[in-house]
Amino acid sequence: MSHDSRQRDEEIHRLLRQAIGRRRFLTRTALAAGGLALGGRFLASCGGREGGPEGGAGGKSKGPVRISNWPLYIDSETVPDFEKATGIDVEYSEDINDNGEFFAKIDEPLKRNQPIDRDIIILTDWMIGRLINLGYAAPLDDASFPNKANLLDNLSDVGFDPARKYSVPWMSGMAALGYNPKKTGRELTSVNDIFDPKFKGQVTMLTEMRDTLGLVLLGMGKDPAKATLADAKAACARIKKARESGQIRKFTGNDYAEDLAAGNIAAAFAWSGDVQGLRADNPGLQWVAPTEGAMLYSDNMLIPKTSNRQDLAMSWMNYVYHPAHSAQIIAGAPYLSPVKGSGAELAKIAPDLASSPLVNPPDDLRARLHVFRALSDAEDMEFNRVFQDAIGA
Amino acid sequence: MAGTAAGGARQSRAAPYLLIAPGVLWLAVFYVVPIVSLAQTSVGVADGPWWDGYQRALTGYGSHFFRSLRYAFAATLLALVLGYPLAYVIAFRAGRLKTLLLGLVILPFFTTFLVRTFAWKTILNDGGPAVRMLQQLHLLAPDGRLLDTTIAVIGGLTYNFLPFMVLPIYVSLEKIDRRLVEAAQDLYSTPRGAFRKVVLPLSLPGVFAGSLLTFIPAAGDFINAELLGSPNQQMIGTVIQNQFLEVRDYPLAAALSFVMMLLITLGVLAYARLLGTEELA
Repeated sequence: MSHDSRQRDEEIHRLLRQAIGRRRFLTRTALAAGGLALGGRFLASCGGREGGPEGGAGGKSKGPVRISNWPLYIDSETVPDFEKATGIDVEYSEDINDNGEFFAKIDEPLKRNQPIDRDIIILTDWMIGRLINLGYAAPLDDASFPNKANLLDNLSDVGFDPARKYSVPWMSGMAALGYNPKKTGRELTSVNDIFDPKFKGQVTMLTEMRDTLGLVLLGMGKDPAKATLADAKAACARIKKARESGQIRKFTGNDYAEDLAAGNIAAAFAWSGDVQGLRADNPGLQWVAPTEGAMLYSDNMLIPKTSNRQDLAMSWMNYVYHPAHSAQIIAGAPYLSPVKGSGAELAKIAPDLASSPLVNPPDDLRARLHVFRALSDAEDMEFNRVFQDAIGA
Repeated sequence: MAGTAAGGARQSRAAPYLLIAPGVLWLAVFYVVPIVSLAQTSVGVADGPWWDGYQRALTGYGSHFFRSLRYAFAATLLALVLGYPLAYVIAFRAGRLKTLLLGLVILPFFTTFLVRTFAWKTILNDGGPAVRMLQQLHLLAPDGRLLDTTIAVIGGLTYNFLPFMVLPIYVSLEKIDRRLVEAAQDLYSTPRGAFRKVVLPLSLPGVFAGSLLTFIPAAGDFINAELLGSPNQQMIGTVIQNQFLEVRDYPLAAALSFVMMLLITLGVLAYARLLGTEELA
């Protein structure tokens, strides 16, 4: 392949990723094309160098550590820095775009105890809970993970993984309102602004059920941490009515970012890090946590039980849990770091970003962040059924 | 010579089977097995009667089925109206340009389906050239839009499947014996009459094949509805996809797939009767 055509391919790849972004579309399309990409070394060209680690410590597994993450969720330096520091190659794939779809790909092999060619996968809280319940996770080796002590206290004991035996957060993010003041003509402060008839056909919501349902529940004065099926049905009825009337233009992964930037939509349920990224080209765009509150979620690293390079995976986790390393990642992907002391490190390398509420939410914003209730598998299906009906899919 | 002829005859009796064996094997493994497994899934209801999935598929998703068939029909019709004259000109009038024109018809395939549909998103943007032009011509209200409408979805389907319509029609037109047209004109047929009585009937197999190649994938498509439509334009493909991957209601998703297959098969059979192409049906 000529240099030019590779460069062009990479450019197309980059543009597509921008257009599609963190959630959803590519896996779906790959799936449609019959390209169940798992197992293929399809990102080999972006991964590590040829050959195994030179002079790696004795007793270490061979081969690169294989990581699956969401697109646009890391800076460009951390992977090469890690390779240089540890001598371990990394095969880093951005092939997770939707929790449900990724689960559909790994469920069968893990059920049969077969390898999925991944040593670390990064999924949202509720999905991590499901994987742990199904026995798909390998316990973390705390002895080789001294930096685990840097995990923020409020994230160190969670319902789906008590004492963080199987997973640690990669990053946290907030789902709230993104808007284009030129199109809205005013400041937005409430979740319910999204139902303002003035914005008919110019608003979008997320396909991620917990984010959209949580925000609408907040707008109705309900607590997403205590949502019952009846609450979900009431919220979904409201969403369905707005969808059928043409108020809601689309339900999106983070392809809303493209529509927001192109001026197709005035307001959207949006993830915090995305809007920060869009501002580089569209300085007017706003992201705001409404007065009613915003949804908080974390995406967590987990080692599949069939990984045969768990020691390398632990090295990676330990590396990214160093405050300076975490700060470097945040500088390239402005979400919330789960690592203590990363804020101070970030202030050294990116002082402007360090004071942004997206990376370092002030106390009054922290107080308004909500987490969706942990649902059992059966409840998850019930909620999802109502939700998918509401969004017309 | 005689011996080899006899051997050749024996060989030629076995040859057809040998030739189709790889294809049959392929279909058995990658078509029959999945279909059987899908059928099992569709009746594997955890609690309730085995037909529960089918019942919910038929009662809850009628509008999605109807919409999918309607959009696919509209796209097929549009592709036919656009594609037939194009194929006709390439086959009969293009002269030296024939190869170039055929190349241009195929050219879009060099870009992937997904990227092509994304390009449509850009073209149809609210502030984009298409919307501005239509607004200046007063064909679109000042606050109107193209993206995320029925028009955009049908337009996208038509665009993406147009070559599948053009190429079979072109092939069937191309192989028409020109002397038949000359004969018709020698017998005092008008050009229009010659087209209606000679060219059109002989090209029908191409129209039939082209319509199927357009209609069937269009009815099952979800990319166009997903990218160019709003939630009110979602087609059955989206529902199946969501039921399989998000809700994980496998019996319902499998039942939806079977109902769709049945609807398409019935439609194709009816269409084959209508066109009277017995040899194809």
